Amino acid sequence: MAAFPAKAPTLQKTGALKYVKRYWTLYLLLLLPIAYFALFRYFPMQYIQLAFKKYMIMIDGVKVNVWQMPWVDPWFDHFKTAFANKDFWNALKNTLILNGLDLVVGFPAPILLALLLNELTFKKFKRVTQTIAYMPHFLSWVIIYGLALQLFAPSTGLVNDLIRALGGGGIDFLNNKTWWVFTYVILGVWQSIGWNTIIYLAAITGISPELYEAAAVDGAGRFRKMWHVTLPGIRPTIVVLLIMQIGRIVGGDFDRPFAMTNKLVTDVSTVIPIFTYNYGILANKYGLATAVGLFQSVVCVIFLLASNKLAEKFGERGIW
Amino acid sequence: MKRTISILLIVALFAVLLAACDGEPAATSNDPTATPPVTSTAPTAPPPTLLDELGLDTDLKFTETRSITVEVFDRGQDAGKTKPEDSYYSKWIQEQVLATHHIDVTFTPIDRWGEADLIGPLLAGGDAPDVCVTYNKGAIDQYAAQGGVVELAQYLDTDDYKGLLPNLFSLLTEDNIFWDQNTDGSLYSLEGRLMNPQRINTFVREDWLTALNLTAPTNIDEFEAMLVAFKEGAATLLGSDAARMVPFSTSYDVGWRIDHLAASFVPSSAVTNDKEFYTTGFDDRHLQRANYKEAVRKLNDWYNKGLVWKDFALYPAGDTTEDDMIKSGYVGSFIHNWDYPYRSGLDGIQGALQTVKPDAAFIAVESFKDDAGNYTKFLSGPVDRKIFFPSSNEEVTASFLYLDWMATFENYNFLQIGNEGVVHEKQADGSVKVIAATNEEIQNSQYNIDYTITMNGLSLATPEATAGSIAFGYGGIDSRLISIAFAASINDGHLGRNPRFGALEAESGMDTVLKEKRDALLDQSVVASVADFDSVWDAGWADYLASGGQAIIDSRIAKWEELYGSATQLP
Repeated sequence: MAAFPAKAPTLQKTGALKYVKRYWTLYLLLLLPIAYFALFRYFPMQYIQLAFKKYMIMIDGVKVNVWQMPWVDPWFDHFKTAFANKDFWNALKNTLILNGLDLVVGFPAPILLALLLNELTFKKFKRVTQTIAYMPHFLSWVIIYGLALQLFAPSTGLVNDLIRALGGGGIDFLNNKTWWVFTYVILGVWQSIGWNTIIYLAAITGISPELYEAAAVDGAGRFRKMWHVTLPGIRPTIVVLLIMQIGRIVGGDFDRPFAMTNKLVTDVSTVIPIFTYNYGILANKYGLATAVGLFQSVVCVIFLLASNKLAEKFGERGIW
Repeated sequence: MKRTISILLIVALFAVLLAACDGEPAATSNDPTATPPVTSTAPTAPPPTLLDELGLDTDLKFTETRSITVEVFDRGQDAGKTKPEDSYYSKWIQEQVLATHHIDVTFTPIDRWGEADLIGPLLAGGDAPDVCVTYNKGAIDQYAAQGGVVELAQYLDTDDYKGLLPNLFSLLTEDNIFWDQNTDGSLYSLEGRLMNPQRINTFVREDWLTALNLTAPTNIDEFEAMLVAFKEGAATLLGSDAARMVPFSTSYDVGWRIDHLAASFVPSSAVTNDKEFYTTGFDDRHLQRANYKEAVRKLNDWYNKGLVWKDFALYPAGDTTEDDMIKSGYVGSFIHNWDYPYRSGLDGIQGALQTVKPDAAFIAVESFKDDAGNYTKFLSGPVDRKIFFPSSNEEVTASFLYLDWMATFENYNFLQIGNEGVVHEKQADGSVKVIAATNEEIQNSQYNIDYTITMNGLSLATPEATAGSIAFGYGGIDSRLISIAFAASINDGHLGRNPRFGALEAESGMDTVLKEKRDALLDQSVVASVADFDSVWDAGWADYLASGGQAIIDSRIAKWEELYGSATQLP
């Protein structure tokens, strides 16, 4: 292990090269993540061209790469095709609704749980509760849907069996469009709530205990401390995560709606990633798929920048 | 004695049907026991110059060993199944092909139930095997348009090259080889041969009929009355499990699972009129046929009367929940593949059911008559899986020779029936009785159809031997049930022919999109309230047509008129 000097020399004095040479071990460590991003994030970006090109495998018997594929005419043809498709607009609407509900219901849930966990005085119970709450995060959506079927299927689900045993008529959790959205959102909260509390709990531990002591001296009870000390203490974290979540409002998961969907609810479950999969990947229209993906990314960046600006306007630091 | 008679009967029946399949060309398309015209000509031996050019000696061995990859369907490794790319049979094929042609074969497993969706991305990524096989003809057409598939007519339409492939031409015949030829003469896929035309059957619980003193339903009213009787008799039939009663079961794939019911609602004039039949024939579930809506309305009515499994739409393809329910004895009737409950012999549905209730049996019935009084069923032509070579294939001749090897009787015969004493027992009449092998020689698919990609269905040396063997092909299952299913499946069947439309632009890439819309339309229409049925159907149907369905019908009509003018029948 290289020894670090007590005081780092400035760039002006020794030059960038010398600086890098001196800390080469640190730069070496950086290589791996840089390679990851270069290989899996930046290199594939060359295929963005497909949004404006005609996908071909061979031209005149010669295999071609993405640079050699012909441009479509007009250049926005794939976008035109996508925007003329009513399924695209339906998918966009569904994406906004499901992500919006996730934002409204799913975003505050881990904050509440973190606040509650923070109030637990019995440490062992707190740890066990936290661990149990994390667990669903490690389950794939295919498994979660399998569990959901066992619980919520109309004729054989455990929950419906219970409702019927209590004299009810059963609920179509998975095969009624409205109930499906409800189940989708609730399962999303269940799956992610524990994992998402980690960052808030970490932020809470960073709050100075003196603030709580001062609040206690001022006569604040638990709720007041939570409201006037804990929440303001984690506000920067909340704002950063909120900005990032808003940035994903048009994006979102593929596996969750894909695993949970069925033919009775496709009107509300087909989100943009599924539209892209059906129309682009399965129907072999890679140009269209890339155009929709690009549209999605651009809108996400706009939302991200706008929400960041808004946060700054209200006196928060934002994410830059 | 009864058993012997029934076996004799089934052998006789099959022999008649299969012998007819090997007969002269059929004059019309409506006889399911007749095979479409065979126009194969005997290939002549390839000239030495061609052999030199291709690097082959006179025994059709490559002078330098060539390597190819071949797709094989993977059905998972449950119930003792082996890895298809590394099994007793894959190794046998590899050894034999290497010895016969000096071709080194590597198998690439592709999920059987996802293959239609997987083949596209594999082609796009340049990872598709040299020899590909799929049911997804649309994907082949699309990739062909993008230059991603080898054009085959340039080889197969030359007499010299045909001489290399005598077995392939003999088994597939020129009809299957050129079935997919486009009107401009280009050809991108071969059609594997479907040996038996059986497709779908309607099954009911025979023991329940007996218990409720009912006869097998012969029309739709009797069928519905039977479903009601099953529901009302649940306590008698299932005792404490009465709440689990499902009089009629279906899956999310409603189109497949109401096939016979739907066919009976299609006017007979729309079936006998070739122009109408083929211009509305894009959807393999027959959604575009006239009056299809009324068949779905009937299922919707049954659903709302509580006669249909309520959870049917929730389980995806490959899920075993419905099978488990049938095995447990909760299901009274269903429509499915012609031999579905008998597959895998005693390890399958019928076998499991007998374990739960020894006298339980599913029997095939014919209950759905059309307006002409026939039990019309839509049967496909003698075509099955489509074989093609992606443009990444650099060993086209080796790939063709592999197919020719696979189309050779001795080779597919061994793959179909395996070793004597392990996979089959020879009978005195030349037929074979399949033994369900549980060791490494287990067949992952019936008759190893996943390896014998040039054909689907048993084919022994003579039609009589094949007939006798099919009767024995479902280890431990009562041959009477198989005999009835075999006959019912093709009675009044309408065999598909080839309208020779070739690849149509309007159909390009639409398979998946329209399949999704079709399934959603059907599922949502079935569960709609009776009052809402029309509005749900009409909205979904309008969406289907607007999303490409109408353009496909129009395009087919235009092509028909281009090819056949004002004629309403195929020549």
